Amino acid sequence: MTTSPVQRIVGAVWHHRLFWPVVALIVLLLACQINSPGFLSIDVRNGALFGQPIDILRTAATPLLLALGMALVIATAGIDLSVGAVMAISLAVSLTYLQGSASAGEVPTVMAAVALGIGVALLCGMFNGFLVSVLGIQPFIATMILMVAGRGIAMLITQAQITTVTSAPFKFIGSGSVFGLPTPVVIAAVVFVIVAVIVRRTALGMMLESIGINREASRLAGVNSRGITWFAYALAGVLAGLAGIVYGAPTMAADANNIGLMKEMDAIMCVVLGGTLLSGGKFYLSGTVIGALILTTIERAVIIFHLPSQITPLFKAIVIIAVCIAQSPELRTWLHKAGGRMRTKTPPSAPSTTASTSSADDPRKEVAVS
Amino acid sequence: MTAPTVTTTPAPQGAGSPQRSWGDRAAKLWHRMTTPSTLPLMGTLVTLILMLVIGQMRYSTERRDFVSIKLFSNLFVDNSYLLVLAVGMTFVILTGGIDLSVGAVVALVGLVIATLLPTGLPLVIVLPLAVGIGSLFGFMIGVMVHYFSIQPFIASLAAMFLARGLANVVSVQSVGIDHDGFSALAGWSLKFGEGRDIWKINSSMLVAVAVLAVAYLLLHHTRFGRTVYGVGVGDRGNAIQLMGLNAGRTTLWVYVISGTCAGISGVLFAFYTKSGFNLTGIGMELDAIAAVVIGGTVLTGGAGYVLGTFLGVTVYGLIQVMIAREGLDSWWTKVFIGVVLLAFVLLQRAIARKKVR
Repeated sequence: MTTSPVQRIVGAVWHHRLFWPVVALIVLLLACQINSPGFLSIDVRNGALFGQPIDILRTAATPLLLALGMALVIATAGIDLSVGAVMAISLAVSLTYLQGSASAGEVPTVMAAVALGIGVALLCGMFNGFLVSVLGIQPFIATMILMVAGRGIAMLITQAQITTVTSAPFKFIGSGSVFGLPTPVVIAAVVFVIVAVIVRRTALGMMLESIGINREASRLAGVNSRGITWFAYALAGVLAGLAGIVYGAPTMAADANNIGLMKEMDAIMCVVLGGTLLSGGKFYLSGTVIGALILTTIERAVIIFHLPSQITPLFKAIVIIAVCIAQSPELRTWLHKAGGRMRTKTPPSAPSTTASTSSADDPRKEVAVS
Repeated sequence: MTAPTVTTTPAPQGAGSPQRSWGDRAAKLWHRMTTPSTLPLMGTLVTLILMLVIGQMRYSTERRDFVSIKLFSNLFVDNSYLLVLAVGMTFVILTGGIDLSVGAVVALVGLVIATLLPTGLPLVIVLPLAVGIGSLFGFMIGVMVHYFSIQPFIASLAAMFLARGLANVVSVQSVGIDHDGFSALAGWSLKFGEGRDIWKINSSMLVAVAVLAVAYLLLHHTRFGRTVYGVGVGDRGNAIQLMGLNAGRTTLWVYVISGTCAGISGVLFAFYTKSGFNLTGIGMELDAIAAVVIGGTVLTGGAGYVLGTFLGVTVYGLIQVMIAREGLDSWWTKVFIGVVLLAFVLLQRAIARKKVR
């Protein structure tokens, strides 16, 4: 069997881990474009870019910030359920500080407020990391503690009220624009580059993956698994804090009950859509970006199609199920087998049934092989 | 290993043979209670007793004790739906899985009941149908987990979004249930005692106890139950294979059980609130998981007791009662649940370390 370069390229694209997520994204975008022509157009107003794609990017910044931290945590075979609560805590701290200060409209005050919020978020991340890496508690339950209690803590900070402040520099973080791009997009892009450089230009990323694949073996190989795991959770905390501030900045209202509610699920969904397995090991930052874009595009598409926005969860569910099943090794082997039998010219009805029963009999075996 | 290790505890005075056997028995019981597998359960029991003692000291008045049948009666009037949810969750967690969809299923089931009853469908069709919706969601998660090896977390997350989305499609407003048969069923209760000490057993409590009993029998007295524990050990089913059990579709079934429990719980929650609302049950899955963990079931699977879950729900309910008695805001409950959860997780961890050594 000889393969031409074209076939090879097609094969590489087809088998690329980002193939299905990118297809899903393109289909979503095209569907929007067909439904409302001009959806994909971008125009320049007052030196800033405007248009639906830019808006999608702006909205995607929050889940992306969360998901970048989450991706590193998931790489260590962990999970961080507390990010939504940490968002609420950091925004509550920042806004409460601003509310209390006399010069809320000045840049240094705002910078102090942001630093304070992110500092508290760092503490939250350190707490999670301590429970997971030092005490060895399962990540799911360790971070669930802060998820449950964190919102209560945020309520304590805001005195169970919706804290609102007026501060132009703070608002700029959420709704201003830099070089024509919305500030959140710039922040998310800078964070992405920093994380990518730290993780991929040093051995850190490989170490994270090795911890996720086999913690004990990597420890024996001399990887400081405790310190690195702790770092991942601390970073996830910091990014969650930043996300909280970016998310809450446009409205400048800290509603401790609702800020970041269910955002941890969105973040995990972004990571998984990007091809990272929840079981840890290999992680993909670029895939995470695609995941965040898919998520935001779904939310936008619901509006474009004039559907009631409450239906959004339904579409999220459909996309998650579709992408996960498309990525599942069972389906690929099944398709492969079915395709192979077709080529050997067995009756078309027979192969599908036999293949499906055989894959149903021993799914565990195939997982072990893959 | 029975006699020598156990008799190290000195028998109390009067070393006559009957006394010694009693001492032996007590020591054996003590030994059994402090083995790693039952220690979390004992921790839960101690916490419960401690809370009851504190409550008794703080909230009892001249006329009435805090610890009374009335307290427990009220506690389970408020939490019977959570007990059913947590029992279903215990099955899933024992296999090392998780089911995040249950809260959303409760909301969907409540709304389905609220919209179907006014159409004139009889109760005997609507209620089984409502429970069936739960089973269907469980089945869906089970298929994704078992046949497509999608991680339980993600599969149940998708089901959660699906259930929540469907609930939003049904209605985005609270729909009251005004149906004679339904109200009669929800309001039915056996009353005991007199005056202010009156306490009752209502239909939700009976259902919850029945679910608990069935779960207990299923988990501790059937091959299926053994297999559930075996799957949770997580060695690709080798251990249970050696025991002569077949893992088969156990993973699928535990999700069906959890989904069915969520369906039943949805009915009980509708009994409790007499309405359906699309935003009910946000975070309810976490309450259920917390109750299971507080009840001594290990999240990695393979160890735990369904009766522990019962204790876990009791502790959870008691925290709510005590927060209310202290006059604190309801969100303090969350902080306290978090603290209790932390304490139990640390306890579990300490035990696991001891086990390894």
